[in-house]
Formats: sequence, C-alpha cells, structure tokens
Amino acid sequence: MIEVKDLTIHYGSFAAVEQLSFNVNSGSVFGLIGPNGAGKTSVLKAIATLLEPTFGEIIVQGQSVLHQPEQARSFLGYMPDFPPVYEDLKVWEFCDLFAQAYGLRGENRKIKVLESLHATGLNSQMDSLCKTLSRGMRQRALLAKTLVHGPSVLLLDEPAANLDPKSRIDLRNIIQSLAKEGKTVLLSSHILSEIEDTCDTLGFMRNGKMVQSGTLEEIDQARKRKKIITIGLPSPFPNLQEIISSIPCLSVFETTDPMAKEIKVCFDGDEREAARVLNKLVQAGVPVSAFVMNKTRVEDLFLELESQPEGKE
Amino acid sequence: MNPLIQRGFRERLRPKNLLASGIFSLIVTTTLYLSCFFDGMQIVIPAQDPPSGVAELAFNPVNGAREAFTALLILQGFFVMFLGTGRVASVTAEEKESGLLDYQRMTPMPPLSKIFGYLFGLPAREYFFFLVTLPFLFHCVIVGKLPFWNILHLYAVFFCSVLLYHLTAHVIGLVVPKPRAASWVARLAVLGLYIFLPILGQAGVSFLSFLTLLPTYFGKILPHLLAEGTDKLGRFEGQAVQFWQEVPFFNLTLSPTTFTFVMQGLIILSLFLASYRKWRLDSLPAFSKPMGIILFATLQFLLLGSLWPFFTDGQASGLLGRMIQLDPAQVGLPNQLKSDSHPAIAMVIVQSTFFLLSLAAILILINIVCPNPHRRLKGLQRIQRIGLPSIPWLADEAPGALFATLLAFLTILTYTTLHLLAVSSESILSISSSPSSILFPASFLLFCTLSLRAAREQWFNLGFWGFLGLLWLTPILACLVLAINDFLGNSQLMLYVSSLSPVTFIPQLLIHHSPHLIDEANPLVDLSASIQFGMAASFVCFILLTYNLWKSSSK
Repeated sequence: MIEVKDLTIHYGSFAAVEQLSFNVNSGSVFGLIGPNGAGKTSVLKAIATLLEPTFGEIIVQGQSVLHQPEQARSFLGYMPDFPPVYEDLKVWEFCDLFAQAYGLRGENRKIKVLESLHATGLNSQMDSLCKTLSRGMRQRALLAKTLVHGPSVLLLDEPAANLDPKSRIDLRNIIQSLAKEGKTVLLSSHILSEIEDTCDTLGFMRNGKMVQSGTLEEIDQARKRKKIITIGLPSPFPNLQEIISSIPCLSVFETTDPMAKEIKVCFDGDEREAARVLNKLVQAGVPVSAFVMNKTRVEDLFLELESQPEGKE
Repeated sequence: MNPLIQRGFRERLRPKNLLASGIFSLIVTTTLYLSCFFDGMQIVIPAQDPPSGVAELAFNPVNGAREAFTALLILQGFFVMFLGTGRVASVTAEEKESGLLDYQRMTPMPPLSKIFGYLFGLPAREYFFFLVTLPFLFHCVIVGKLPFWNILHLYAVFFCSVLLYHLTAHVIGLVVPKPRAASWVARLAVLGLYIFLPILGQAGVSFLSFLTLLPTYFGKILPHLLAEGTDKLGRFEGQAVQFWQEVPFFNLTLSPTTFTFVMQGLIILSLFLASYRKWRLDSLPAFSKPMGIILFATLQFLLLGSLWPFFTDGQASGLLGRMIQLDPAQVGLPNQLKSDSHPAIAMVIVQSTFFLLSLAAILILINIVCPNPHRRLKGLQRIQRIGLPSIPWLADEAPGALFATLLAFLTILTYTTLHLLAVSSESILSISSSPSSILFPASFLLFCTLSLRAAREQWFNLGFWGFLGLLWLTPILACLVLAINDFLGNSQLMLYVSSLSPVTFIPQLLIHHSPHLIDEANPLVDLSASIQFGMAASFVCFILLTYNLWKSSSK
C-alpha cells in the first residue's frame, strides 16, 4: 500500500508538486495522468526514494520513505521512463545482478531470474547482450529487472512508451496479474487507452496538484457527468424524439435531426434503468438495432479537465 | 561475491576481452621491461691500456633488474592509477546521468558495499593489466635482489594510493554531472591533489608530500636500486632520499610509510563519508556541516604539526630548508630587500603557503557545505510548513555563517599559535611581535571567508565561480599586463590592483609585517597604502555581499 500525504516538491522557487495526497491500496493499479510537467515523474521518484521532497510524508507498506528509505526500498520496484541498461551485460546477467543486489541467493535466485525473464517474454533472448536489444526489448529487460526481487509495490513511469501493440497487451496482462497477486501498482502514462485498460483508479494531475482522483465511476459522480446511450436504427424513425422526451431519465444529447439513423441520449440511471428504457422503446415500436451505454472515456475526461481553467476543477 | 564486482568481471573480462587485454598488457610490459633490463644490464669496462686497448662489455642481470624496476612501477601506475581512475570517474558519471546509478541506489545493499563494488568492479580490466605485469615484478625482485619487506611496503602504499585515486574519481563522478567532464576532472584532480600539491612539501608543509607513493619509493626503495658496486646516490636522488627518510611532526619523527598510511587513510575516510552521503541521496551535499568542521580541524592539526619544527627552531626540510642554509651572497635579491633576509623570506613563504592552503580548503568546503539558493529556499519552505522559527543550524539547508566563521576561527587559531610560537622562540628573529601582525591577516581571512559564504548562498555555480574568477584571478592577470608594460613605473598601481585578490594580497600582508625584509629607509613602493586599500576592499566586499544576501533572504 502507498500513502502519500501533503507531498510538496520544489525545484528552487518552482513548485513541481504541491500538497498532493492520495492512497493506492494493495491489489490496485493506480494511473497518474497529466500533461508534461504536471509532476508525475517527480511523484514517482519521491516515492522511489530518489528525490527528496520539500515536505510531506510517504508511507510504503507501513515504512516511511523519508525516514526509513533503506527499509522501504526492499518493497519497491521502480522502472523509469527511459530504459538505461548495462550495455555489456547479457540480459540474464542484468537481471541476475539485481537479484543478487536484492539479496536473493542460490537456486532461488536462478528461479526468480528465469521467472522474470519468462514473465516479460525475454527467455528467448536471455543470452543476448543488452546493447543488441531494441528499445522495446530494453523496456522489457528493465521490467524483468524491476520484477526480479518480487517487489510488493511497483512504480512504473511510462512503462509502455516504447512498446509495440503486442508488447503493450502483454504488459497490461502482466500488470493486471501482478495486481491480482496483491501487489500495489502506481503507473504514469501519456497513453490514455493504456491507462483506461490497465488501471482501476486514476489520478489527474495538473501543475503539481491532484485535480481529480478515484475510479472512473467515482469521478463521473463527483463531476456529475451524465451517461450517454447510443441508439441505432435500421431506418429513420420520425417520432423517436417525442418518445425519448416522454421517458423521464432520458434527454437528447447531440442529434436533433429526425432523419438520423443514430441518436445519442443523455441518461440518468443505472444498468437496470437502462434495461427498462430499452423495453419502453421497443414497446413504443421503435425498431432498435443497437443500444449501447457508452462508458466514460479517460480521453474525454482528460480533455475536459485540461480545457477547464485552473481552480475550477 | 559483491554483485557489482561480479558485474565488472562479466562486462569487461569475458574470454575474448581477457585474451585481447592479456596480449596488449604482455606486449607493452615485455617491450618496456626488456628494454630497460638489457640497457641496465650492460656495463662498459674501460680498456686496460688506453688508447690502443678495446673497451669490453660486461653483463650484470642484477643491475638490469634494478634499472627496470622503476619503469615497471611507472607502467603499473599508468594501468591502475591513470586508466583505472578515468574509468571509475567516467562510468560513475555516465551511470549517474543515465539513471543506472539510481537502480543501484534503490537496492537494499549497504552503501559501503556499493562503493566497494564500484571501486573494484569498474576497473576490473585495469587490474588484469596489472596482474599480467606481476611475473616481471617477481623477476625484478628476485634477480635484482631487492629487499622483499621494502617491496611489500611499497606495494601496500601503492594499493592504498590506487584506492585513494579511484575513490577520488568515484566521488567526482558522483558530483560532476557530465561523464566526459568527470573523467577529465578526476584525472586533473588526481594530478593536482596527489602530484602538484605534494610539491608544497618542499615549502615546509611536509604532510602534503605523503599523499603519494613517492616518499615510500624514495625512502624505502631508491637506495636499493643502486647498481652493484655503487654505494653513492646521485645529487638529486640523495636529496630525495634524505628528504623522505623521516617526517618531522610536532616534536616527533615518524616513518614515511606510517605517515603516508595515516594521511591517505584520513583522505580515504573523508571520501568514503562523502560518497556514502551521495549514495544515500544524490541531492545531499557531499559533507554535512559537522563533517566539514571536523575535516577542516584535522587539516589545521596536520598543518600545525608539520609547521611546528619550523616555527620553533627555524628548521625545515626540502627546498625551503636548503634555502635557509644558503649563503645570502649566492642568491640575487631585489635591491629593496636586505641581504640577511633569507629566514624572513622563508617565513613569508611558509606563512603564505599556510594561508593560501587554508583558504583553498575553506573555498572547497564552503562550496560543498553552504546551501545554494535552491537548498536555502527548500529549508525556508520546510520550516514555514513545519512551523519552526528558524532552520536548525546543523541542517544542510541552514545558512553557513556560523560554519564559515568557525572555519576562519580555526585558521586564525592555528596561525596565532604558530606565530606566538615563533615570537617566543630564540632561534627565529624574522617575525614581528606587534599585535597587528596577527590582527590584520586574521581580519582579512575572516572577511574573505564570510564573503565567500555570502557569494555561495546567493548565486548558483556560474555566479559563484564567475565572482571568484573576477575577484581572485583578474587582478593577477591585470598585474601581469602592467608589469610587462612598465614594471617600475606601474609598481605602486600593481600593488593596489593585486591587493584585490587574496592570492596576491596575503603575501603582501605578510611581507609588510615582516621586520627583516623591507628596507624602511629606502622604500620604492608604499606597501602600507596598498595594505590599507586591500583591507578596505575586502571589508566593503564582505558588507556588500552580506547585505545582498540578507536582502534576498528576507524576500
């Protein structure tokens, strides 16, 4: 578990992070989102004991990162946003170096190294020199090194930045399976679809502050965002708008054209209510060919938060 | 095995590398060793009945081995000291820049293991080069009949020096951000600290000589490298051996090897402490305030001990000692100087060396320990949040006024002790007993130290070093131009200009207070006017910088 309280990081007179507080529970994947310079990397580095905050408290698995950094480090696995590796080491030697440095010995060390290489899909390249690896492969080697000592808290800064689509899917599966094992994952990314697919909790950062955090549903509720239902028709249905306005939890969102084959409506209710709405539409004779309750997209939220002036979030 | 040492072996000593390195080292060593060995082995026996007789050539392998020993030692030094030092500095800085060092920083290995891992793992190939030279060394020792115990002494000090150089490089790599710069800064620092600084040993500060291998080499080995049948060393060698036979320290006489170990051990300890702090957290300054004070107090103690014999009975070893003993008539002195002024000149040299060395140490410590504007601001932000009235004075973020004052106080204390010692000594006449001879240098040093601290705390690196360059070096360069233009005509102006820089003002100040140096009846220049100007300039500089710092702090 990670607890961040009132974290403040200054670079001279510039406040990179200001009074940031959030918690990441065990088994949860928390995604930090924000534009460049929002302070995401500073937060991750401070949790990883690599940056001394100006003020605040960071607790990792019950250990204070500021006062007991040595103890906290044994729980942490940190992967930075660019993949430096020891060029002249073989991939397995690179992982083995860190396995030894984290105190793994004997047969257990060998097993852990092989496991981490297997988990990251590098077992076929374990004897290659790191300098021969592509950027994406280096990223995998770095992830293997991060996982080798079985950290209970993973800090991943832009983990998918250099990966191809297949590798991204693999990474997502790895992260989700780690979370299922009870590990705490905190990641930052610019790739919003990756965040959406991987994380169960989100934190939006802007100018060093946490603008909004929680699950997507919690954020939706907090921001009073309405859900959208897309209704598809095989052919235009002229009375559709009248029928929609007769249903209390619906209102037309985008389309006012009576000849449209697709109409988006704002919906205020849960999934059961949505089923009742569909039933009403069918009973009213509307030939519904598609009925999709659109989930909130991280991208939409991001753009929405980004476009708002500061302090009005 | 330490994983970082193992990493060094894996990275740089794979079978292919091992073979290539082995062949390279073998070729270089064989060429050098055999050339020196064969050259030294030949003895020309003059013809018995010249001029018709023919000179004969005899071969003595003992002489060959003795001749080759020094060359072999230099080559070994080149491998592990020069190449190894560059490697440690550049890789440390490279890894710091790339972030690899952060991976290591995050591992739960103790910082001491990490430091050892870097020191012995990074130069693995250079150690292998050295290993290849060992058979030649054994040949040298056995054939040359060199005393085994002395060789053991020499190599113990050799490895102590290697550790010292590599540790210096490692700390520089941790501190200097650019890898290529770090590699050269480290090499230059090693040259400066351990080659040029020891030369000051000739100016009475004998402890500085013991930062290198030279005292052990000259004191323990050189007398045994004489060719068979020769029992007299050359003039230079004889003087060097005599200089490094024993170390005068307070009223004691120590062995050079012991003193070298003590000196190098102290520096190694302080470098370990610095790298320990940097390994814990990169943003920490290399020394905390208490560490800075302890280090400086140790330096002052060593200076006091080394200069003690000179200030009690006027005796000194090295070039300074020989200068005191010289016949005044043999040395051309400026007209204004009295002809019996040798001891007085020696006193000015020793006092200037003491002050400049102390000032250099003060500059380095203030640069490291006193907070720059960012760190100072961080401290202020923290106390504001915590609700403390002020930053605890021992904290890294705390203003360094007290720290700088303590450094100046320690220097003044040492100087006063030495000065009073000289005044009370019957053998030393070339010292003034007037209170101003203590008061003036002490006040100047205090102003200078506090100005440095104020400059460090209000400017970043560019401003700080730019200020130093302007104030400390530009006056010297200006004097150079004035001297070339018209030395005699510009001499008074040169005194005024040079009094702006501490490097040239301190000797001026000391010459002014030396009773046996200036012929007061026939002064060519008015030294007291330039002294007053220099003192006033240093005071104004201190006031302006401190006021500016205070103004920026209160913002």
